[in-house]
Amino acid sequence: MSSTFTTSAARNIFYGGAVFSFLLLLALTFRTEQVLPQRDQRAQLDNPQVVAGKRIWENNNCIGCHTLLGEGAYFAPELGNVYKRRGPDFIKAWIKGQPTGAPGRRQMPQFNLTEQELDDMVAFLKYASEINTAKWPPNIEG
Amino acid sequence: MKYKSQAVAKPYFIAAMGLFVAQILFGLIMGLQYVIGDFLFPHIPFNVARMVHTNALIVWLLMGFMGSAYYLVPEEAETELHSPKLALILFWIFLVAAALTVIGYLAVPYATLAKITGNDLLPTMGREFLEQPTITKIGIVIVALGFLYNLSMTFLKGRKTAIASVLMLGLWGLAIFFLFSFYNPHNLVKDKFYWWWVVHLWVEGVWELILGAILAFVLIKVTGVDREVIEKWLYVIITLALVSGMVGTGHHYFWIGAPEFWQWWGSIFSALEPVPFFAMTLFAFNMVNRRRREHPNRAATLWALGTGVMAFLGAGVWGFLHTLAPVNFYTHGSQITAAHGHMAFYGAYVMVVLTMISYAMPLMRGRAANSNKAQVVEMWAFWLMTVSMVFITLFLTAAGILQVWLQRVSDTPLSFMATQDQISLFYWMREAAGLVFLIGVVTYLVSFFIKGEERAA
Amino acid sequence: MDTTINPRPVSAGVEPHLHGDLAIWFFIIAELLAFGVFFVAYAVTRAFNVEAFNAAQAGLNLNLGALNTVLLISGSWCVVRSVQAARADLQVQAVRWMAVALACGVGFLIVKVIEYRAKFAAGLTMDTDTFHMFYFSLTFFHFMHVVLGVCVLTILLFKLRRGAYGSHDVHGLETGAAYWHMVDLAWIVLFPLVYVMR
Repeated sequence: MSSTFTTSAARNIFYGGAVFSFLLLLALTFRTEQVLPQRDQRAQLDNPQVVAGKRIWENNNCIGCHTLLGEGAYFAPELGNVYKRRGPDFIKAWIKGQPTGAPGRRQMPQFNLTEQELDDMVAFLKYASEINTAKWPPNIEG
Repeated sequence: MKYKSQAVAKPYFIAAMGLFVAQILFGLIMGLQYVIGDFLFPHIPFNVARMVHTNALIVWLLMGFMGSAYYLVPEEAETELHSPKLALILFWIFLVAAALTVIGYLAVPYATLAKITGNDLLPTMGREFLEQPTITKIGIVIVALGFLYNLSMTFLKGRKTAIASVLMLGLWGLAIFFLFSFYNPHNLVKDKFYWWWVVHLWVEGVWELILGAILAFVLIKVTGVDREVIEKWLYVIITLALVSGMVGTGHHYFWIGAPEFWQWWGSIFSALEPVPFFAMTLFAFNMVNRRRREHPNRAATLWALGTGVMAFLGAGVWGFLHTLAPVNFYTHGSQITAAHGHMAFYGAYVMVVLTMISYAMPLMRGRAANSNKAQVVEMWAFWLMTVSMVFITLFLTAAGILQVWLQRVSDTPLSFMATQDQISLFYWMREAAGLVFLIGVVTYLVSFFIKGEERAA
Repeated sequence: MDTTINPRPVSAGVEPHLHGDLAIWFFIIAELLAFGVFFVAYAVTRAFNVEAFNAAQAGLNLNLGALNTVLLISGSWCVVRSVQAARADLQVQAVRWMAVALACGVGFLIVKVIEYRAKFAAGLTMDTDTFHMFYFSLTFFHFMHVVLGVCVLTILLFKLRRGAYGSHDVHGLETGAAYWHMVDLAWIVLFPLVYVMR
């Protein structure tokens, strides 16, 4: 079987295919934006504590050890559902108690958060735990 | 080297190799912290080591891409670089910015860094891989714009080959999608959703154009196969890459709050992502088999072939392993992800940059290829790094399977930390493989200093 | 990867010849792979939820689907006639057939939009249930292909009018035609699978 194979055809198909795929991604993104309000708990963002908590989460690089909804580093436990696993009081006490100093064990730094900041953090983790994640993680351990 | 100005690639490559070493050293620190948790604590907490490890990788790959582009575009366009001076100025700006950022990571707590760099004015920090202070990000944009201006001017005034066009498209895409790193909404789902427009659309989108272009360039040079043949295959491969990879972004949208149709779209399209990588492997081997000359730089040819194989294994096979939603439900955010990440980055992007360095460095040093002795050492480095990376990946995969089993599948699931204790043996083995990788890197660097009979360029 | 590169004019030899550029055939294979995996996913999911799928499927408008099938098959036929005319240097006929093919493609899009509007008016979306996820995904994915195909046919139409194709060269025309036939083929599988099969 013989055939013709030209660079110009390959190039045109590349550009056509690339534009096509990107438009498809945009269309699916458009649909995503329409559905998100039912899933992403955006009403909770009216609470300034949640917003402040997200900033504290970012400013201390929590994602550098933990995962949040499964994304991040895999060195320390998943925190997307930690509010449900441990509850607010445990979370605050835990952060305050770090580092444990237990020899040979993984250590979490002391971030010197104020009581207000701890509450913000908890509010953020509560918000994260209520996002509709299609039933992920498989169990409470994350 | 056909044009004097191509030599600006050299400092980029040297800096890239310096950062490569830093990346590996911090990787070893992290690897040890996985098993000796308080190692170097509190001086270098894990999150800091990880930032240095991942950001050094990103920066050195960008340096490698930039160096490759400065070398490749003038030669393809058959003209001198628009402004070699601008290229050198931007190099120093980029290097100093990168160095300051790393010093910032290591010298002060991250929260302090966020404060002194004014993160509250435009908060972009504290997200995985995008940990750089906002001012560093702005610096990256400025450097990228200057770089793109310089190369676009060069490209426009010269011959517009397919390889150069694809490379330029990839580089512009890289800069444009990076702009999403400035979008950090309070809404966590949207934050994560568009975060992937930087991360996924880089590594499984526009970076593949850069990878394909560099690989095609080196293959033309070392095999002597007709440009026409190589270029049309390049187009076919990158078409497959974008058609599968763009919508394949959906494989990150399964469990972060995005609608559930992504489970289907993401699974189906990302399942096709191995296809372009497989095509790339076939392509590289075919071109080398059809070679019309015996290029004296056999090490560069080895790297080029290695890129094809390892990119297919790491990005293709290991990506496919956990890309289907029902599988990913269990493996998401486990050591399986880490295993895939390591081999994919090494196989696709580290190796393609090393391919280019291996090909271009001798030419910039005034010879067609290094001495046989130097090349033998370089090939040792290739095998040390590649084989140890295979083992790192296998050990992490084993750790990941056990982790998933103990923590997520079992009827009596263990907690995260209890699981980690159970699988520490694999982390020890990974660390040992990592040490071999470091030996490979050192061997690689040594190969640059080995003399012997060289052939003139 | 072993392909012989022929000179551009169509070879009249006895050797079997793949019409259209090899590059489009790689693309077609990739596209059919994507459609194929999607179809298999649909079939398997349906096998596990036959009753729910049948119930939801009853709401589909078979007439509009059938009309679209006729439009696409006619469009493909017209493209074939256009290529044949171009090969025989019958430029006027080639242009006419191509224009009719284009009209069929546009007609398909209009009918599809009517169908979608009725679905949206009934409050049905991709997120209603699994069947509708597949229904909207598959038909929309195909819809995008028809849009791209219509763009291709438009380009071919203009080039035909400029006299770019004839017995001296039908390569580009055949390449575009091959893509259009693929779009048609995908629908011919999609229609029975999603609309008809109970």
